[in-house]
Amino acid sequence: MDKQNRRQFIRTGIRWILFGGMALVAGDLIFRKGEPLFGKNRKSGPTVWQLDPAKCIQCGRCATNCVKTPSAVKCTHAYSMCGYCNLCSGYFKPETKTLDTGAEKQLCPVSAIKRTFVEDPFYEYTIDEALCIGCGKCVKGCGAFGNGSLQLQVRHHLCDNCNDCSIARNCPSGAFSRVQLTDPYLLKGFGKKNL
Amino acid sequence: MKKKTILIFAIMLFLVFVAWMLRDLFMVRPELQKNPYDYGMTALRKTDTVPSYTELSPLKPVLREITSVAGNQDGKIYIAGKGGVEILDVSGRMLKHFPIRGYATCLTLMPDGTLVIGMEDHVELWSPSGNIISVWQAVDTNSMITSVAATQNLIFVADAGKKIVYQYDRYGKLQARIGEKDPVRKIPGFIIPSPYFDVGISPKGELWVANTGRYRLEKYSMDGSLLTSWGEASMAMEGFAGCCNPSNFTILPDGSFVTSEKGIERVKVYSPDGAFVALVAGPEAFDEGTRGLDLAAGSNGRILVLDPSRNQIRVFVPDKRN
Ligand code: SF4
Ligand code: SF4
Ligand code: SF4
Repeated sequence: MDKQNRRQFIRTGIRWILFGGMALVAGDLIFRKGEPLFGKNRKSGPTVWQLDPAKCIQCGRCATNCVKTPSAVKCTHAYSMCGYCNLCSGYFKPETKTLDTGAEKQLCPVSAIKRTFVEDPFYEYTIDEALCIGCGKCVKGCGAFGNGSLQLQVRHHLCDNCNDCSIARNCPSGAFSRVQLTDPYLLKGFGKKNL
Repeated sequence: MKKKTILIFAIMLFLVFVAWMLRDLFMVRPELQKNPYDYGMTALRKTDTVPSYTELSPLKPVLREITSVAGNQDGKIYIAGKGGVEILDVSGRMLKHFPIRGYATCLTLMPDGTLVIGMEDHVELWSPSGNIISVWQAVDTNSMITSVAATQNLIFVADAGKKIVYQYDRYGKLQARIGEKDPVRKIPGFIIPSPYFDVGISPKGELWVANTGRYRLEKYSMDGSLLTSWGEASMAMEGFAGCCNPSNFTILPDGSFVTSEKGIERVKVYSPDGAFVALVAGPEAFDEGTRGLDLAAGSNGRILVLDPSRNQIRVFVPDKRN
């Protein structure tokens, strides 16, 4: 290869690299998860990350993939959907016989759910957000046997609203999207008022 | 020579870098896939008990979003759901289909063949030929009718919204409210955490109700006194797997109970006094998360299971060996 050809080769190479880079940036902007650049799903106004409980399969990554420790995703409780069950499948491990608050009987790995007696046979379950790691174990139990009133949500006072949410990037069910800051929760039921 | 070596080394380094990037982008790494907080549903849905029933080919109704099934001893199968009722013969051939307005949540047959259809908040009576006989007034505000049962002259309506079983005459006149909490009569009241609240009449004419928040079946007198109950919460085959089970039940001609559960989907037979007898179908037979397995006694010992997930009527017959 003579000098002239080598120069041409480098120039062509640079052009291709620039072109490829621009295509990547454009593709990312147009197809990026949650916030499309064009189309009817394009929203105006500031947005934040949120997960759709109807799509979530409780894979555990909300606990392990968040850049915050503990995760900015927490269990939330849509009280209007709750049965206030004595045998709460979100609170007790599946085979539990005696229904007391012994740590070994609790499903939650960090005992973040508090059980309070209301009246026979009803109990109220509240989440201690400071303890909750967003693992979704209780959400799975409640959804499988109960009414599904326990649901995971990104808690915005804790979330850094990362440009590229590391949970959204790895969520196997595509549950994450960007939602309007003015309506930032996607709880099922009528539980938004409980947050 | 030296230049060539450096070039080859650089290309190899570049290829290794590209391979690493591709692996990072596209390869699924099992250690990242494993859920350290797994609930263990897969293990719970496995059972050692062998079913004592064999499944025949399922019946596939034309109706979509089916919710309830009833059978009678001449082999006819009645199915209700969104916007219609379908009547099939024993082989699944459609005999009749007629539209209804709205969403049928439950249905039963009166001994004279009249169809009693629960429609979320009210009841309708239809003739088997598809003519409407009467439309009752809405039961109550916030009512959610989940089951109906009938004797010759009485119709029982389970209302999960109000947590009461209403007793009507066949003209829609309210006769009694059954299961209302009453400490004087020692009636603890129904605990119905979710919209699964089934009611049935035994061949002896006894009224049975699934008190799902207490994981048991309760027998009531016609005036609403609690007579007896059986059942307990347990993941074991003999029990009902937690809240809110049994989600559905039916009573066979010999007085045995067939129950279905949600969470761990299973259909089982219990003796008339509530002892576990046999597994009809275990969780493996159903899609995970299936709820509302309505049940009916078919002809010749068949058990009909409405599978809302597959929109089919699954048919189970006792194993010859058993
Ligand atoms: S990563 Fe997705 S599927 Fe997994 S727990 Fe979070 S929202 Fe649910
Ligand atoms: S089980 Fe997991 S998601 Fe539920 S409260 Fe405990 S830490 Fe939070
Ligand atoms: S945006 Fe950042 S802080 Fe918020 S949930 Fe995602 S990874 Fe966590």
